[in-house]
Amino acid sequence: MAANSPLPSSLINSSSSSSCLKCNQIRFGESQKLSVRCDTFHSVQIKRSMASSASKSKRVWLFYCPEMQSLAQRVAAQSDSIDLRCIIWKKFEDGFPNIFIPGAQAIRGQHVAFLASFSSPGVIFEQQSVLFALPKLFVSSFTLVLPFFPTGTSERMEEEGDVATAYTLARNLSSIPISRGGPTSLVTFDIHALQERFYFGDTILPCFESGIPLLKNRLQHLPDSHNISIAFPDDGAWKRFHKQLQHFPTIVCAKVREGSQRIVRIKEGEPEGRHVVIVDDLVQSGGTLIECQRVLAAHGAAKISAYVTHGIFPNSSWRRFKHDDGGI
Amino acid sequence: MEEKTQFQKKQVLLFYCIEYEDLARQVASQSDVITLQSINWRNFDDGFPNLYINNAQNIRGQHVAFLASFSSPAVIFEQLSVIYALPRLFVASFTLVLPFFPTGSFERMEEEGDVATAFTMARILSNIPISRGGPTSLVIYDIHALQERFYFGDHVLPLFETGIPLLKQRLHQLPDADKIVVAFPDDGAWKRFHKQLYHFPMVVCTKVREGDKRIVRLKEGNAAGCHVVIVDDLVQSGGTLIECQKVLKAHGAAKVSAYVTHGVFPKRSWERFIHKADGLENVFEYFWITDSCPLTVKAIANKAPFEVLSLAGSISDALQI
Repeated sequence: MAANSPLPSSLINSSSSSSCLKCNQIRFGESQKLSVRCDTFHSVQIKRSMASSASKSKRVWLFYCPEMQSLAQRVAAQSDSIDLRCIIWKKFEDGFPNIFIPGAQAIRGQHVAFLASFSSPGVIFEQQSVLFALPKLFVSSFTLVLPFFPTGTSERMEEEGDVATAYTLARNLSSIPISRGGPTSLVTFDIHALQERFYFGDTILPCFESGIPLLKNRLQHLPDSHNISIAFPDDGAWKRFHKQLQHFPTIVCAKVREGSQRIVRIKEGEPEGRHVVIVDDLVQSGGTLIECQRVLAAHGAAKISAYVTHGIFPNSSWRRFKHDDGGI
Repeated sequence: MEEKTQFQKKQVLLFYCIEYEDLARQVASQSDVITLQSINWRNFDDGFPNLYINNAQNIRGQHVAFLASFSSPAVIFEQLSVIYALPRLFVASFTLVLPFFPTGSFERMEEEGDVATAFTMARILSNIPISRGGPTSLVIYDIHALQERFYFGDHVLPLFETGIPLLKQRLHQLPDADKIVVAFPDDGAWKRFHKQLYHFPMVVCTKVREGDKRIVRLKEGNAAGCHVVIVDDLVQSGGTLIECQKVLKAHGAAKVSAYVTHGVFPKRSWERFIHKADGLENVFEYFWITDSCPLTVKAIANKAPFEVLSLAGSISDALQI
């Protein structure tokens, strides 16, 4: 079971109180926000040291979609060079977006970024409208920050007729107009399939980041940091992450067929007596994590935790992980 | 259109979105050479589409079409995934039939910062991969702003159709066909449609400012004693039509009807037009819409004064182009 050790206070980021004073943000209609209860999960932020002087860092105007307001505020709080800007998101009666970008003339010559979240198909079109409009406002450069690249995580191209929605999304993003800064930079974290980088045309420069450094930092602050082993639920996760986690002992799981069932087994590594941290890029129902946890416990793991970059948890599947008072 | 012999007609495989199943069936029933195909529309738990095109190997070398309805932003992505996939399955040609091109009907580009979603939509469609048949043909009925034709890139060939012939055919069937006058609610509608309706007497309305109000007035034409049919490309709340109807009645119109190609009617705004039992509020004699907006068609089925004029025949012909 997961151990909750208290966080050193220097690492806890108090939520930013900066609000967008210029903004008159209105959101009509139903919002479909992913809501995750944060009482069980602590958010950890690493303050970057300002190594470069203010004159060297680019001044960036950061726009964002409504779902990402709180993260955008935290990003802007990290640096004097990042200015939070707002967009007016309304809808017409027919449900189609009615969007206005304030300050469209002042934006000329600025470096501009947009923090997007495609948490469901319904919110893509309105954000895409902004993505197609911003680069054409004579900006110096345009960066799209899309922390989670959805689609492609559950689908498999197995036969003719399968439709790859990851291709649709990559194609849509590839048609973002180029700006005076050239192709659009696309920042995404722990993309599910590395070959998706080849789905983008020349108008996009993908920049693949990872959340693993945040995990490593957190693990080092645990009281039993010397006793940590990393477990990968399958070979895919091992391929994605083992190089970044080389200095930890490693356990690799695998799913094997037994009759009509698929069972998780330990392929390599030794969990006995260790605090084992299962690492993967994302979690959906959580079924895989729970099966891995059982196998690791059966092999003598002292404690078991999990890390995923993207906590998708459709249909509130995070509930099965909450500690209840029974303390299982 | 010239009649083609069976030899000359293209065999077309017609795929369609869920909302348009009825219209797709009607299109296929209009012609021996159009065959309906199917797609498995499912979702993963995270809400993203899990799609499968049935019979994908057997569509190679065939002319393929997809009947799409972008009735709300939420249904765009799943249809777009199919639209981007079909042309790459070695089809002989690809046609996208999008009877109603949404967006752009409310928005105005008035200052820097206004975001034109019509541009977004056109750009997304212009990015459809080309197939062996070259650019994708894109069939649209009564597009709201004619200059939107220039929003499309070279990989699509827009084909602008109209529902007006269906209206004309219906008007000729009316007992008072000789007393019909066509009315346009504004200059925009007149520009769009007057050339197709020149053999009817015409009335043109306009909105004038009076103080802080905008009032509909009759600008030209004579309505007295006639059956006046207000013609426009689409209806949203219906407010404009109702104001026009009042002005026409005040100028002596005997009866007033309406035709719009696209019955958008957000938020059930069609309710204000339904004939009630007491007959007091029944201001429109007929209200014709096409089946371009399938959700509305379902809602108003068999409810007077609404009548649906189907685009099926016209679409079936357009697929031969």
